[in-house]
Amino acid sequence: MAKIQKSKIFEVYEAEEEKRKLLYTINLTPEVKVYDEILTKQDNIEYRRWDPYSSKLAALILKGCPNIGFRKNDIVLYLGSASGTTVSHVSDIVGKEGFVFAVDIAPRVMRDLVFVCEERKNIAPILADANRPESFADRACEVDIIYQDIAQKNQVEIFLKNIKLFLKNNGYALLAVKARSIDVTKNPKDIFKEVKKVLEKSLTIIDFRPLEPFQKDHCMFVCKK
Amino acid sequence: MEKTRGREHFESLYKKNLELTKKQVKESVNEDSFIAHAIGNVGELDKAINLLSKRLREWYALYNPEMERETGEHEKLVQAVLENKGKREKNSMGAEISSGDLSQIMLLAGQIKELYDLRKKHESYLEEIMKKHCPNMLEVAGVLISAKLLEHAGSLRRLMMMPASTIQILGAEKALFRHLKTGKKAKPPKYGILSQHPLIGKVKKEEYGKVARTLADKISIAVKVDYFKGKFIGDKLKEELEKKFQ
Repeated sequence: MAKIQKSKIFEVYEAEEEKRKLLYTINLTPEVKVYDEILTKQDNIEYRRWDPYSSKLAALILKGCPNIGFRKNDIVLYLGSASGTTVSHVSDIVGKEGFVFAVDIAPRVMRDLVFVCEERKNIAPILADANRPESFADRACEVDIIYQDIAQKNQVEIFLKNIKLFLKNNGYALLAVKARSIDVTKNPKDIFKEVKKVLEKSLTIIDFRPLEPFQKDHCMFVCKK
Repeated sequence: MEKTRGREHFESLYKKNLELTKKQVKESVNEDSFIAHAIGNVGELDKAINLLSKRLREWYALYNPEMERETGEHEKLVQAVLENKGKREKNSMGAEISSGDLSQIMLLAGQIKELYDLRKKHESYLEEIMKKHCPNMLEVAGVLISAKLLEHAGSLRRLMMMPASTIQILGAEKALFRHLKTGKKAKPPKYGILSQHPLIGKVKKEEYGKVARTLADKISIAVKVDYFKGKFIGDKLKEELEKKFQ
């Protein structure tokens, strides 16, 4: 078993195995799994394997992004949390002193997320429509970083609305763009270009990466307010 | 919006959000969810019944091939197998099998009959629940189609917001996107879930699209009335439809 060591990204660990790079985060709740991830123990610290095929953030790191913005003790607004796969790793990264607001609109996935939140005291579940940030403004606070992964046609608009309301100055904002939900008929590359143009108007884009081969027709923008 | 930070603040935020979300999840369940699961299970049962019935057919034919051949419908065969209790024609082609071998076949037939009963119960449950929830759509489209439309849209509210053209091709997404992607090469679909409506089977093939379009219009009206709890106009809509395609 290859040794797990620190990676270039804060609070994210890596190991080399059969020429593949595997990502890990330190498990905040030892011996508790969130989904069916692999738990590994080394030097009395428990790590959770982070699968790039089910998490776009992990895919972004494996694609070589030098800075994903997340740091220990950060306060995070996570839009489109679903059942909490990626959220749980974000919660590992920010640690006990950090905090995550996980927003999703579907009651079905929220049910799963509530169980994750009961284990992890640093995630607050919010069942609300991310398209109307005012509707949950009293349930969250100003944040250091926003991460959005929503499959909606107006995902960029939603992203900008939330940045305006919640993000502190100089805060990071990550946007996972799903080209297929913006327009199925167009070429994904053209859509990414259009999104880039819109984002550039109000934000500085630090990094842009397509997530092939982990996620098809997806890309990730790392921006700064 | 608050800007306060600090541990105690987050603890209260955590508690408040968890409590609120739990309450919201609890309240999110309504008739729509029950309808979606019931109709989903009807589909599941249909698949299971078909699979098991085919097995029963082959298995029973070892013993009584003549009757298997005579009885076309699965449901009738199951009924016949159970009623016959192992009797058959004297000069049957079927093999001589022991009562132990036959008993397994009978058990399977019994189980399939139970599944048929469950399906019927689901259907009458759906009809009952939808009589209150969406009486107009029920009248125009029938139990199974209405339930499938609701399941597909997610809720009555979302179905109500859809234009009639969307309702018309609900369930034919694959064909629709094939058309959108390839342009003229693939023709757009005429109907999705609505294809199962009896009215579409009645008319000439050239008129299928026309019927689907009108039907979708009427369903769209009916759903809107249902959502806002208006008067019952389902019978009128149905009459108009039938008059048009006689």
